[in-house]
Amino acid sequence: MLKLHGKIEHFQSDFKGHRLLYITNNINIPEVIRSKYALLVETEIPEGYGAYFSFNKKNLNVNNFYHLKSAFNYLLEGDIVRVDDRGNFATLFRVNSTNNTILLTTRCNHYCLMCSQPPTTEDDSWIFSETMNLLEMIPDTTKVMGYSGGEPTLYGDDFVRLIKKTKDYLPNTVIDVLTNGRAFSDYSFSKKIEKANHPNCTFGIPLYSYDPVNHDYIVQARGAFDETIKGIVNLKKCNQRVEIRIVIHKQTINDLIETCSYIARNLLFVDHVALMGLEITGFTRANLDKLWIDPYEYKDILSKAVNILNSYNIETSVYNHQICTVNNDVMENYHQSISDWKNEYVKECEGCTKINHCGGFFSSSKKYKYSKYINAIT
Amino acid sequence: MSKFQTIEFYKEEKNNYNLLPFRFSNLSDDSILLTNLVGEYFISSRETLEDLVKHKLKKNDLNYKLLRSKHFLYDEQTKVAKDLLSIKYKTKLNNLSQFTSLHMFVVSLRCEHSCPYCQVSRQSDDKHKYDMSREVASKSIDLALNSPSKNIKIEMQGGESLLNFEIIQFIVEESKKRNTEKNLTFVIATNLALINKEILDYCHEHQIYISTSLDGPKEIHNKNRPRPGRNSYEKTIEGISLAREVLGLDKVSALMTTTQLSLNYPKEIINEYVKNNFNEIFLRPLSPYGFAIKTKKFSEYDVEQWFDFYKQGMEYIIELNRNGLPFKEFYTSIILRKIFTFDDPGYVDLMSPAGIGIAAVIYNYDGDVYASDESRMLAEMGDKKFKIGNVIDNNYEEIFFSEELLSPLEESFAYSAPMCNDCAFENYCGSDPVYHHAMHGDFVGRKPESEFCKRNMNIFKYIFNQMQSDPFIEKLFMSWIK
Amino acid sequence: MLPMDHIDLMGLIDQADKKTKLFIMQVSFDRNVYTLDCLKKSAYRFIDKFSIDFDMSGDQINCQLNFDSKLTQKQCEFYVDQFKKEILDQDLRESIKRETEPVRNLVLAQAFSKTNLIKDE
Repeated sequence: MLKLHGKIEHFQSDFKGHRLLYITNNINIPEVIRSKYALLVETEIPEGYGAYFSFNKKNLNVNNFYHLKSAFNYLLEGDIVRVDDRGNFATLFRVNSTNNTILLTTRCNHYCLMCSQPPTTEDDSWIFSETMNLLEMIPDTTKVMGYSGGEPTLYGDDFVRLIKKTKDYLPNTVIDVLTNGRAFSDYSFSKKIEKANHPNCTFGIPLYSYDPVNHDYIVQARGAFDETIKGIVNLKKCNQRVEIRIVIHKQTINDLIETCSYIARNLLFVDHVALMGLEITGFTRANLDKLWIDPYEYKDILSKAVNILNSYNIETSVYNHQICTVNNDVMENYHQSISDWKNEYVKECEGCTKINHCGGFFSSSKKYKYSKYINAIT
Repeated sequence: MSKFQTIEFYKEEKNNYNLLPFRFSNLSDDSILLTNLVGEYFISSRETLEDLVKHKLKKNDLNYKLLRSKHFLYDEQTKVAKDLLSIKYKTKLNNLSQFTSLHMFVVSLRCEHSCPYCQVSRQSDDKHKYDMSREVASKSIDLALNSPSKNIKIEMQGGESLLNFEIIQFIVEESKKRNTEKNLTFVIATNLALINKEILDYCHEHQIYISTSLDGPKEIHNKNRPRPGRNSYEKTIEGISLAREVLGLDKVSALMTTTQLSLNYPKEIINEYVKNNFNEIFLRPLSPYGFAIKTKKFSEYDVEQWFDFYKQGMEYIIELNRNGLPFKEFYTSIILRKIFTFDDPGYVDLMSPAGIGIAAVIYNYDGDVYASDESRMLAEMGDKKFKIGNVIDNNYEEIFFSEELLSPLEESFAYSAPMCNDCAFENYCGSDPVYHHAMHGDFVGRKPESEFCKRNMNIFKYIFNQMQSDPFIEKLFMSWIK
Repeated sequence: MLPMDHIDLMGLIDQADKKTKLFIMQVSFDRNVYTLDCLKKSAYRFIDKFSIDFDMSGDQINCQLNFDSKLTQKQCEFYVDQFKKEILDQDLRESIKRETEPVRNLVLAQAFSKTNLIKDE
């Protein structure tokens, strides 16, 4: 798993606040724009760069010097990072990645039992401003990008501004927005999104059960089910792409088949349904006893659920499962999906002939909990 | 210290609930089918139904949760049911605006077969008397292209349509020429006795589908479909093979007609289809029109007898699927689509409002326009009740808004008919005013006496009971809805 | 299940030449329990089995069921039973209809309206 965030212990800079920098190896960046670049130092240290990063030297007699731990040596030319005056370091964008996701806020109006990004209440709207700047730095050849949180739509009309700016600066980039969709139950808000007219934006919205009580329980918010349904319907009425996401665990598995039937009957017009394996991170670990079920034990339910969605021609994908824990009949819908910065394999995988098609494990799963039925397919 | 609430926290305290509109009908001795406003179903015991209606159903009952999510009841917990029902209802009705997608052209009444069940009398070689003229064809094409439907299927039939191949070519080419915005599909219905490479090359060039008759193995087929030389079967099989060679497997389809003789051989007939590489069959009931009534072939029919035939056929088809051969029954798949989706399959005899005019229309060789194929057959027997105009004398509005079409549509609307109004299966059924007029003297008939009703009810119950009894069958049937 | 009044097996009428038995049966209902509409709708479903004469007297609705000549006594009794069960069903249907008519009209009105369906509530 790639380390995207960290603390820099040895650095020397009088820059106040936080700033965005391009990573570069190039010692000949034109002087007039050098301040936007962080040079990965080898031997020479030309003047004028925004920052100097070194993996081996803990100290260099130069302003804006940072000693990066080797965990960050994946950084490539063109990647974009953030540093601040307290030594916080974050990789925001990687040119080589197909999974760049920008976290817009950690605030959320839900408190999902299995949240992988536990919410906070502090005002982090500075991230929004930073992202608006970041959009001017991201190369417009970027194929795919995501927005997530917390709940991105908590920014209200600013969120619409963000989508508009994303369209303007990255017109060819496919955008995936992860949201609980509740803000869109306000039809006028949905209309604003329609007006922003992004040509290729998908809203990924979780719906965990056909039973409103269960859905509300899982996301820990009363009234969530109704607003989410309304939000989905409104977005489709406003010609937006909608994906329904279901994380499969002990609380959602018993309802899964009926939930997929419910989607087929009432939300047939959604563009995609994603059935996802559980990531053992964030709140999941605290609630593991309520959530953990071995995927191998529910593989028949998964098959039936996928079958229902396929019967209705609803585009369906199975994510974050290992091939040896699912039935063959879902392989047409199976995707190798774990983000490139999260996935790994375990010792039981040695010799598996399907390893190249398999998504493997979340690093967190590998560390804390995974199926006891993993075995190499030969 | 847990920041998380238990599930109890999210339950609404109030215990009361309200009913949403639904109907119910018996499915078997101990189960009842409930269907909601848009035809979604729930299978219930008598006890649960009574509890439901008497407001005694408990919230922690799984049935309660299911009934709520399937929109049979609503409560304080969730308020989206009515909105979703409106959307679904609207979706169902939307199909109506895309009307008349099937246009049939009777290009010739002449035929060299003499099938007892046919509505067309054995006509002579007199081409002028019984062939469609260019003038009639031309006017018919214009009417067809005037339909609101985006997708138009033009089916050329007869008699034996290939006896007037020149008009077929005229229709195909003129339609394509005059078409500006529609998707056109062409089908030739033929007994294949006259098929040759030249005709097939033409079909290939213009992407025309072939539909033919295959009543079963040789003995049954030839007995049902006599022709001079008594070799209808051989010619059909030969024709299918040749057609597939030129056009491809999926461009050639076959229909069977069921006679008294067929009733004893469902398995054999299906095997004939399997043997000839078809992956579906339509186990049709015998239509009461034309020769069938004249020669009293229809009166020999019993609803129970036919249903036995259907059940045996279905049993065998299910077995084939279990053994790995995908094979489908067409009528069942139509009904399954109506049960599980809001797509209207557009099958004329099973629509309400009726499919006459709305789903299909037929232009006879002499220019007379009929509301459906059955309407034409009835006319051949002397009853022109469903003649809705003439291509030469009438324009589009005069034909499609004629009293002859609108009256039966309105009067036969199933929801308004006695007994249909109450029936849980009404969403899956149709009104068929032509049948009821022919058999019972009015557009609606009395449903308890109607064999149309009995037959369909038998099939509906069969389908639901089968799905309940076996998950394999449930999965199989779900795969037939696409 | 609410109690109903007795069935009266009445009148085995021999037809002069055929000796066919034509069964007629009587059933009575309290009109405070079942509506006339309910009875009519139930009777309609058996129109191919029997025709029916209604006679009102006070709170009683007396029904005379005139069975089709092809039916045996056992069959007639079976259909009377079915008739009574159907009446229970029709009664249930009337309850459902009463309760759901307004919401049905609401849903249909929404379905046919041109305005947006999901509004802020």
